Amino acid sequence: MQGGSSGIVYGGLKYQASKQQQQRLLEPSRTTCLNLFLLSLLLQARCIADVRADAGSTTFLAGTLSLKEENEVHLIRLSPAESELVCDGLFYHPNEIWDLKSCPFDHRVFSTVYTSGEGYGASVWKIPEVNGQSNSPQLEQLFELSGHTGKTRRVVWWPLGKHDKLISIDDRNIFLWNIDTSNKSAKVISQGSADMLPNLRGGAWDPHNHNSIAAISDSSLQLWDLRSMEKSTAIEHAHIRDVDYNPKKQNIIATAEDEFGIRLWDLRMLKHPLKDLPGHSHWTWAVRHNPEYDELLLSAGTDSTVNLWLAKVSSDDSESDSPSGSPNRQEEPLLNSYTDYEDSIYDCLGISQALLAEKMNLARLSILNRCCIFEKCSGKGLELYDEVELD
Amino acid sequence: MATAGGAAPLAMDEKARRTRDLLASFYNTDPSAAAGAAAPASLARPSPTAAPASPLDSINSTSFDPDIYMNVLVQQSNLEGLLQRHVKMAAEIKNLDTDLQMLVYENYNKFISATDTIKRMKTNIVGMEANMDQLLAKITSVQSKSDTVNTSLFDKRENIEKLHRTRNLLRKVQFIYDLPTRLNKCIKTEAYADAVSFFTGVKPIFEAYGDTSFQDCKKASEEAMDLVIQHLQAKLYSDSEPIEARAEAVVLLKQLNFPVDNLKSNLLEKLEDCLLNFQNEPTQASIGDISKTFRAYLIIFPDSERRLIELTQALFSNRYESVRENLKKRIPSTDLLAMLRSLWEDATAIDEVIPEAALPAFSLETTRDIIRQHIATVFLHLQSEISEALVRTHSTSNEKLEESQLQTAMEASKIKVSQGCIDLLQEFHHLIDGNIELLVKLRDLIIDWVQEGFQDFFQKLDGHFHVLSGRSKKKSQESTMDSVQIDKVPTVLVLMLAQLCVYIEQTTVPKVTEELASSFFGGGARSYEYGPPFVPGEICRLYRSSGEKFLHHYINMKTQKISKLLNKRFTTPVWIKHKEPREVNMFVDLLLLEINGVVSEVKQILPGIVRRHRHSDSTGSTTSSRSNPMREDMLNRSNTHRARSQFLENHLAKLFEQKMEIFTKVEYTQESVICTVLKLCLKSLQEFVRLQTFNRSGFQQIQLDMEFLKTSLKEFVDDEAAISFLLKEVNNAAHERCLDPIPLEPPILDKLINAKLAKIKEENSNMW
Repeated sequence: MQGGSSGIVYGGLKYQASKQQQQRLLEPSRTTCLNLFLLSLLLQARCIADVRADAGSTTFLAGTLSLKEENEVHLIRLSPAESELVCDGLFYHPNEIWDLKSCPFDHRVFSTVYTSGEGYGASVWKIPEVNGQSNSPQLEQLFELSGHTGKTRRVVWWPLGKHDKLISIDDRNIFLWNIDTSNKSAKVISQGSADMLPNLRGGAWDPHNHNSIAAISDSSLQLWDLRSMEKSTAIEHAHIRDVDYNPKKQNIIATAEDEFGIRLWDLRMLKHPLKDLPGHSHWTWAVRHNPEYDELLLSAGTDSTVNLWLAKVSSDDSESDSPSGSPNRQEEPLLNSYTDYEDSIYDCLGISQALLAEKMNLARLSILNRCCIFEKCSGKGLELYDEVELD
Repeated sequence: MATAGGAAPLAMDEKARRTRDLLASFYNTDPSAAAGAAAPASLARPSPTAAPASPLDSINSTSFDPDIYMNVLVQQSNLEGLLQRHVKMAAEIKNLDTDLQMLVYENYNKFISATDTIKRMKTNIVGMEANMDQLLAKITSVQSKSDTVNTSLFDKRENIEKLHRTRNLLRKVQFIYDLPTRLNKCIKTEAYADAVSFFTGVKPIFEAYGDTSFQDCKKASEEAMDLVIQHLQAKLYSDSEPIEARAEAVVLLKQLNFPVDNLKSNLLEKLEDCLLNFQNEPTQASIGDISKTFRAYLIIFPDSERRLIELTQALFSNRYESVRENLKKRIPSTDLLAMLRSLWEDATAIDEVIPEAALPAFSLETTRDIIRQHIATVFLHLQSEISEALVRTHSTSNEKLEESQLQTAMEASKIKVSQGCIDLLQEFHHLIDGNIELLVKLRDLIIDWVQEGFQDFFQKLDGHFHVLSGRSKKKSQESTMDSVQIDKVPTVLVLMLAQLCVYIEQTTVPKVTEELASSFFGGGARSYEYGPPFVPGEICRLYRSSGEKFLHHYINMKTQKISKLLNKRFTTPVWIKHKEPREVNMFVDLLLLEINGVVSEVKQILPGIVRRHRHSDSTGSTTSSRSNPMREDMLNRSNTHRARSQFLENHLAKLFEQKMEIFTKVEYTQESVICTVLKLCLKSLQEFVRLQTFNRSGFQQIQLDMEFLKTSLKEFVDDEAAISFLLKEVNNAAHERCLDPIPLEPPILDKLINAKLAKIKEENSNMW
């Protein structure tokens, strides 16, 4: 792969990787952008996934959403040498991709949710070995998660490592699959159906509890117990677009809502949120915790901005939240807002790897103690920031 | 010896003295004494030449060494001198001999006479013995005689003494028997003091022998004493008696061991009743009378002070308590002032009598509390009045939505806030100008409280607004009733709150600040470590942010509602099998209805800006209008091209176009709010479209709907550019998501739109 700051044409698509170091010099603010990579996909994309299983390097998968063009899955790598974004692979995908998730234990495996015409489908794919100069090798379809009657919405992997289960969500059912990637087989273990027009949109698997999943619908957030496949509790009357578990603290969950912006909840006390963050001017589409620094939240919205929040949540008490909204709360939760986008942003993710941090800040690791990298995936662009906060 | 007589006459005295000394030393056995006697003599010698150490002089001393003497003499003197000295010495020796002889004679003579005297004494003493014996015998006889006399007189003396004692006793008994009459006499002359002293004198006897022959007498005198006590009591109880007499009566009663404490408590109870009466019907007695009574009691019962203090304190605390009771209702400051003034006057009157009760301090403290409470109540009342005004409007406006009703309600609540604050300030003005000594002392404090009160009031009002709007974080602390209500907060109320916040920030707070500065300057009795109590800047900031919050909340609620509508619209039909568009979809009507509702609410509550020329508002308007024809071109071309290049061009065009600022800051104007709501709705529309996949007819339906919206929305907004941009975006999104994007032919489009317009017109005319 080529690197450098010049644009490369790859498979008919243009990537621009440019370093914008000047920005840092121009704005010596508290939060400093160390490196900013712009990588424009000229196709629309709705989803991006962090390849967690690949411990050696920082890679991402992005899937495009194009009705009329051929759709692709891009494997993007942050080159460890000198912080550049490199497209490591480009794979054709038969349908437009609405959701893409990387397998947390095998970096070559990922899942997609797609539409083809009227039908919806979900599959698990394997990236073939890159050998030779084959420009666009075919993805190997391990198995399809068939059996959904409604519109398939989301495939959810157990977020932390090896687990032989997989969850797929359509607009009224939740399927729990037993998967075997080596045998290319998947079996439905159990199935849960939501009642009365639930219109599920997606969900998140509790990293602290194998048996709990948070599913979101038009009007509520529902916590499902996978053993009984029953809804246990719910946050009602909330128009939730996205949900993310706190990777470090148990029972803390972040939701992105139309009405209230971003809210943090303690799952044991669902009556009132722990914290309110204002969110975006229009819908807040996605919210993600930074996997390393769980106080950092990243949100993407249809107002074409990506916001980085600092939300300190003490897991045991809700007292700390009581003065919020009153004028004496001086702490501004919004750390940074990246507004340089032209269209709605549908996905974002926060990543942080010690390895990466070390490489990027070799000289000043001692003073930089917080590091966050995120990507934005908008209607047509993908960007990577290295966000470093001096504490 | 012969030469002694012929010695030099000048040396005669000295020589004689020396001789005598020598003689004396002869008798004196002590050599040191002799030497001591000789030494001063030699010292007193006038001749300076004679050194004491000179051996020549030591001839008289005990340590005289003849050899040395001779040697020295021989060495020092010539022959003539030696001769002279020889002569002299010989003479001296002769003299000494004669003197010695004379002394011996003398002594002898004396000795002889002494022996003679002793002989005579012996003879005299012989006859005395017999005389002495005689004397002894006589003395013993005298003594025995005297003893006999004494014994014979002894009986009689005892008798006399006994008689004397009896006489005294009899006298006392006589006094006791006389006591009743004496007491009666005393009663008659009202000499109660004498009577008491007599009786107390006799009392121990009565106690000892009361049941013997004294019985009658005791009874009689006790009766008399009872009479005395009665008289004394009567005297004590009668207010007409002089205070001193009453005090004396008490002292006497006390001497009689009469239970004075009972009396005292009786009297004090009477006083208490009296005070109670006073408390209930203050007109009956004046505070002057009470203070007089207090003074009297103080003198009569010097030890009753504590009780009196308690009484007065109870009296005043009760009265203040009743004032406080009044405070629970909203009472005008002037009334409160009158009450406090009368209380203060009473307190000072009483204080003159009993300074120990510390009434001024007490009333000062209580008044402070009361005024503080009063200020708090007044503010609370105002707050509830304001919220009542707000809530009333929304509850009535729910039932019938008259055209100008919201407007009047808005004005009413504005006036309520403003006028309420001013009225309060005036009332507080009364408090400060009350001219009572008490309030003068509290002036600084009151000023602080008023300022603090305003600060607190505004903050609380803000909090209350939040509760009303249903966005309060304190939901959990509210009652369940409230939380139920919160779900149904009318959006109008939120908008009104927003506007009210702006009004408070821009009008009321400056006005209040001004008032405070002009009439409530000073203050600062509290330390300034927390800064001045009323911080208009802070309040303004608070209200500005709250206002913005409410406005956003309003917009949010409205867009939420519309969003739900749109959601239903886009999720229910199967777009990919959509039928050919025949007319503008119903959801457009619903959307317009909602927006009409917003417009009518907003127009009544928010201030409108003067309508300028239409294309004026948005920053991106010029560029957008410039870009319009280009987009038009592009869309036209897209009819023919249906390839990927078109898609790229689409994006290229977008790149060159200046970014449209859709999410501008909301202002408190009708246009801005309506525009923001519209923009958000259209943005949502776009996002909904992006989630679907359309067939050609579905795309055309969207195109038609948007086209119709474009014409209809012109009525509402000035910022046409942004709206048309967003409508185009919706169109573009539909275009992108369409499998076969062929737009409707313009004539068909026009026809359908005109048909819809005609239908609307017809409906309107039917309604009229």
